[in-house]
Amino acid sequence: MDPVDVVIVGSGASGAAAAWRLSRDRSLRIVCLERGGPPDPARYPATRADWEMARHGAASPFPGERADPADYPVDDSASPIAIAHVNAFGGSTLLYSGHVPRFHPSDFRTRTLDGVGEDWPLTHEDLTPYFAENERMMGVAGLVGDPANPDYDSLLPPVPLGPMGRRLGEAFNALGWHWWPSYGAINTRSHGGRAACINLGPCNTGCAQGAKGSVDVTYWPEALRQGVEVRTGCAVVEVLLDGRDRASGVRYIDAEGREQVQTAAVVVLACSGIGTPRLLLHSTSTAFPDGLLNDTGLVGRNLMLHPLGYTEGLFDEDLGSSIGPQGCCLLSQQFYETDPDRGFARGYTMHILRGPPPGETAVTGYLMRRIPLGPDHHRRMAETFNHTAGIAVIAEDLPDPDNRVALDPDHTDAHGMPGVRVTYTLGENTKRMLAHGLDRSKDVFAAAGAKVTAAFAPVRQTGWHLMGTARMGTDPRTSVVNAFGQAHTVPNLFIVDSSVFVTAGAVNPVATAQALTLRMCDHLPDVARRAAA
Amino acid sequence: MTAAALDTLWDAILPGDPARGLPPASQAGVSEVVAAHGLGEDAARLLVRSEAVARERFGTGFDALTPADRVTCVERARRADMRGLTPVLVAALRAYYTDPVVLRAMGAGTVPPFPEGNALNDDDWTLLEPVYERGSIVRPVPKEKGSP
Ligand SMILES: Cc1cc2nc3c(=O)[nH]c(=O)nc-3n(C[C@H](O)[C@H](O)[C@H](O)COP(=O)(O)OP(=O)(O)OC[C@H]3O[C@@H](n4cnc5c(N)ncnc54)[C@H](O)[C@@H]3O)c2cc1C
Ligand code: SF4
Repeated sequence: MDPVDVVIVGSGASGAAAAWRLSRDRSLRIVCLERGGPPDPARYPATRADWEMARHGAASPFPGERADPADYPVDDSASPIAIAHVNAFGGSTLLYSGHVPRFHPSDFRTRTLDGVGEDWPLTHEDLTPYFAENERMMGVAGLVGDPANPDYDSLLPPVPLGPMGRRLGEAFNALGWHWWPSYGAINTRSHGGRAACINLGPCNTGCAQGAKGSVDVTYWPEALRQGVEVRTGCAVVEVLLDGRDRASGVRYIDAEGREQVQTAAVVVLACSGIGTPRLLLHSTSTAFPDGLLNDTGLVGRNLMLHPLGYTEGLFDEDLGSSIGPQGCCLLSQQFYETDPDRGFARGYTMHILRGPPPGETAVTGYLMRRIPLGPDHHRRMAETFNHTAGIAVIAEDLPDPDNRVALDPDHTDAHGMPGVRVTYTLGENTKRMLAHGLDRSKDVFAAAGAKVTAAFAPVRQTGWHLMGTARMGTDPRTSVVNAFGQAHTVPNLFIVDSSVFVTAGAVNPVATAQALTLRMCDHLPDVARRAAA
Repeated sequence: MTAAALDTLWDAILPGDPARGLPPASQAGVSEVVAAHGLGEDAARLLVRSEAVARERFGTGFDALTPADRVTCVERARRADMRGLTPVLVAALRAYYTDPVVLRAMGAGTVPPFPEGNALNDDDWTLLEPVYERGSIVRPVPKEKGSP
């Protein structure tokens, strides 16, 4: 393969933002290698009446359910939280909910403020212009003026609350607690050449309307126009080094199963919080016998997953709660910041989820013994469907080196490369935080006049946010990359995804991850040039 | 296993509800969808086990039972093999709720393929007045020396 200036591995949230930002310099030759295939919106499950069945098959976010040859094995049996992600052009954003609030300023200073975690080597202010640029590119809806997030200048009109959202807004008001309409990567009017959301609901099986800002329809069309070459079906198996401990490119298996080498002046990794450490750990050499950049043993460690607590409320009235983007309605950050009286450090977001679609309502209701089979089924179903709402407590888990991703030599992918084994235990701080979050969620439902029908934590099927496994910092002994994503020990190797997160914050990570990616790539050419000099 | 026998099973767990305009499972394509998802054999096994429970507990065949007793048999059969038989019941429920007639009758909004969308009314943001009034809840962070 002809040498290129930059090879990007992974085309998801961060790989796409990197490709777009770097390709604004048209003189750079950029190739992106993506192990998965291209999505086909015309065949998304939501184009068929049986779309709900696909959520547990081809459109499942869990590799074990999906059985896609592009997937690699993920053994999460040693974790109470199952890992969810997508290997395809567009990565996990194809199935994500598009809930994209920003981290708070305090999230970057948890050691200074609360004596937990570590401080980041940059501040919220450093990211402010990149947050805004990212929101313009992704098409983010919301309302400016949030007392918990005052830095927004401009957003698309907010995603409608619907009757259920309004009812919960009133409940938060009655309690005197913060709430605000969601920040959603959802086109509430046409934007970026894409249509407006028509409130169908199945965002998590892919938005056939193109209204949800997944990167295949936001960053990628522009990056492709700017000349980035994407090769799908290409699984990178090793980052190669030259004799001077600089990256020389990557070795990969192409869509025809042939081994290839792509030489590059700069290698950028964006394979996700588990895909990136996997690739690093698999790239061994004399200089890095335990995996690339793993001389400190940090690669794969400090995995953070945002353990989630879930409470469901049932209303007497039909509030049409299943109508609208399921993961974007409203949020509350009343308990985001540390209050020592609560018995835990840091905090959580309460993220309101719309009611589930019919099949899921029936199945969950049946398995939880609320909706029987047989003669009484329809009456109970009618009392439940469109009558429920969920409150997801997104808890900030603290970095813990024992929570980790390691290679799993017993299970390999289609190319014989080991999968990953995930080991994760909930910390005491997180447990107390989740218990608090469930109690407060019950308070909200009580104030809304809803009956609580379920409340539990952690919810297993919620390992969507994969952070911390190659963290950034100023000290090469305690971090893998610097504030620009540049590896401390291999200066032309960059990591630009949420693996570099130092702490987890208490909101979904994509807005912050992509803002970081944009900042890193803004500086990357200079940083790489300086390193080469 | 005849299709008619399987329909008896599906109609036992999901009978129609004419008042709500809901068809029984046999008319909502449940058998076909379950089979298409590779669970046809599990469905047959569930029926055989339910039949066995019917004979053991009620001394008669499954299809001679009252609707409530049929459900009892299905549930007992499932409880004896939770892991093996729950998936087919779950699939049958999901299958039923993919039928456009069912979805329309229950007011599930627009039904795929989606030429139209669902309407949600505009919001009145004066609802946020109390939140505005309480003012900023941003936690101050000490100023930095400057970041790289
Ligand atoms: C169901 C679901 C809902 C979610 N909802 C939200 C939400 O509402 N808000 C939010 O902020 N986040 C959400 N997330 C998380 C969000 O999608 C991820 O945090 C984000 O996509 C991560 O971006 P990434 O670029 O690091 O990884 P990904 O987007 O996962 O992309 C990584 C890409 O790298 C590719 N890759 C991996 N290894 C290799 C290799 N060796 N060679 C070549 N290619 C490789 C993969 O195929 C993949 O395409 C959700 C996730 C899921 C699954
Ligand atoms: S609710 Fe809106 S964003 Fe979600 S799938 Fe439907 S049209 Fe797309």
